[in-house]
Amino acid sequence: MPEITDLFANSGRAAPAAAVPMVQLIVFKLGSEEYGIRIEQVKEVTVTPEVARMPKTPPFIKGIANLRGDIIAILDLEERFMLAPAGRPLPEKSFTLAVEAADYVLGLVVREVPRPLTMELSQIEPAPEFVQDGHQHDKYLEGIAKLPDGSIIIVLDMRKLLLPAEILKLSNAKASLPKN
Amino acid sequence: MKSREDEYRELFMAEALEAYDDMSRHLSELERAPDDKSVLNELFRLMHNLKSSARSMGHTAIGEVAHHLESLFGQVRASERQFTGSLVRVIFNGLDILGAMIRAVGANAEMPDSSGLLNLLDRAIAGEEVEVAVESETEEESGRKLELSDLVYIQVKKLDKLLNLVGELVIDRDRILTLAEELDSPALRATARHLFRISDDLQYSVMDARLVGVGTLLNRFPRVVRDVATSEGKEVELTMNGQDTQIDRNVLQVIADALLHLVRNAVSHGLETPAERVAAGKNPTGQLSLVALTEREDVLIQVSDDGKGIDTEVVRKKAIERGLTTAGVAANLDDQAVWSFLFEPGFSTASQVTDISGRGVGLDVVKRALDSLGGQLRVDSEPGKGTTFTLVLPTSIAVKGALLVELDGRAYAVALMHTDTVLSLQPAQFSVVGGLFVTHVQGRAVPVVPLAQLLLEEGDEPLPLASKDSLHGLQNVLIVNYNNRRLGLLVDKFVRQQNIVVKPLSKPLDHIDLFGGVTLLGSGQMCLVLDVPALTRLFLARRP
Repeated sequence: MPEITDLFANSGRAAPAAAVPMVQLIVFKLGSEEYGIRIEQVKEVTVTPEVARMPKTPPFIKGIANLRGDIIAILDLEERFMLAPAGRPLPEKSFTLAVEAADYVLGLVVREVPRPLTMELSQIEPAPEFVQDGHQHDKYLEGIAKLPDGSIIIVLDMRKLLLPAEILKLSNAKASLPKN
Repeated sequence: MKSREDEYRELFMAEALEAYDDMSRHLSELERAPDDKSVLNELFRLMHNLKSSARSMGHTAIGEVAHHLESLFGQVRASERQFTGSLVRVIFNGLDILGAMIRAVGANAEMPDSSGLLNLLDRAIAGEEVEVAVESETEEESGRKLELSDLVYIQVKKLDKLLNLVGELVIDRDRILTLAEELDSPALRATARHLFRISDDLQYSVMDARLVGVGTLLNRFPRVVRDVATSEGKEVELTMNGQDTQIDRNVLQVIADALLHLVRNAVSHGLETPAERVAAGKNPTGQLSLVALTEREDVLIQVSDDGKGIDTEVVRKKAIERGLTTAGVAANLDDQAVWSFLFEPGFSTASQVTDISGRGVGLDVVKRALDSLGGQLRVDSEPGKGTTFTLVLPTSIAVKGALLVELDGRAYAVALMHTDTVLSLQPAQFSVVGGLFVTHVQGRAVPVVPLAQLLLEEGDEPLPLASKDSLHGLQNVLIVNYNNRRLGLLVDKFVRQQNIVVKPLSKPLDHIDLFGGVTLLGSGQMCLVLDVPALTRLFLARRP
């Protein structure tokens, strides 16, 4: 399984000029969009280890996994952001980004190999307000990065993603909804 | 294995030598800058601490010398005299002799005579200009070997990490043992057995390194008892026993607040005022005792008072008022069952809220702390004679006996501490009462619920009504017990009994209190550890 540093060594990018503030992202695909997380917030990228389903959690929490002795929660952000129907089984092979969210580590499941990317900090623009969905992931949006080829990357701020209180709220909200 | 006494002596030595080295250093600094207040304060503090610990260990001679030197530092600090001239030589000499005395304790040798020094110091304190006799300069600091302490301080965090790693090692070891049996290779099996012994020793050693005397916590209580007794207008005599009993440092940490609560409770609610005691024909001074002892694998800590005891009828009445039970049921409960209501959240029988205790937070706090350790809380009380609370604690938090059960293809672990018995029952042995399955265990009716309904089905609504049509063939029932409440859980299969190493769940899943943690099985599978107290509460909240 590739370590982050290896990924970077292979990316073949030159060291940034000292004057321009640069930012390094790990980029992955959710639905049809590309998302990015600052590399400081990513602990490692690995092939998803065995995941055990955990009862009494919302469906987008795929379960728990043993990552080098630490038991961490594994999340499917596609389900979390409602880009995919809830409660899908995990694919045969997937990748997990271990990210530092707030004061704990979370695993984010992605279906394609994540890639590293270095860009100028100024390329990330704060997300326009109307894009932000009132009750969804606006809080975790750091901004939107425009690449020279015209594509965009949605940059997430992991430290704000999924605080424990939010999970509680979610599981309660779900409990009051009729079952599908 | 060293005796407790040796270990205490080593601890004293380590502390005293460290203080001695620090003081030697500070004294040299002070000689260069006699007006440095911070150095002087530090010297005063170190000497004072050394005096106290020497006296508490029974080394009165060291205590005396330290006391004299402390007085001299006090005079210098109060600017009554200058740290110059002959005083410097007297103090350096005093410190050298103090060092020799400390080393004598370590070597178990005879203590150097300090009467001449004390005499000298007495005169110096009285303000005389004194001079050190030349011959006592013979033992100079420069001539002595430099020694390092035999003890190292270590952060608990590092020990935690070590324990965690050993836990993983034990899990892998079990996996290798299983493999060795499956492969049927004698060489591998012999190696696996050797690995087994070594890792067992290693685990034991790591657990041993984490043990501390219960006394480290108990020694805080004389002051607490005094303060509470004073503010409540009570007379209390505290006796303590078994301070040497060894227990894991983290277990002690977890129960510290609980024990504080029990002790405060005993003084403010358990014991009567002197007037009440005299009226009841008792000694006006109440007796409170804190006792720690080892019972098999467990450590017991008992808090006993000779106060008025628990008024069972008041508790019974209150339990009905609070809706914890119905009048009909309550009437038939025995004392133990009634007392267990004391541990329900928000249950407090104190009608008067005092500053010390009885602010609505009650014994449930104590109960929760014990639950989190897999410990137990026992009560014993006799009207007019007193009450005893017994905390039953595991010596170590690392390894727990557990029963593995299977549900929906996955294994779950239940701590043996909370399991009563396992049964295989025919459908005919169940009856349906009030929408619940009920079976009889040792003549008592016990509700039975399918674990899958509690665990796997979402929602907070009451459980579906039980129907005997859903039972086919032999049913596996695990009877769990929490706070004198028995509950039967229908599971798919009993797997086996084994020792498990529980890993805590990390955020954000740690608030799901149904799971006490995760353990890794020999097969490498993750297995959730069910928390019986939380499961019982969930059942009570959702019963039809």
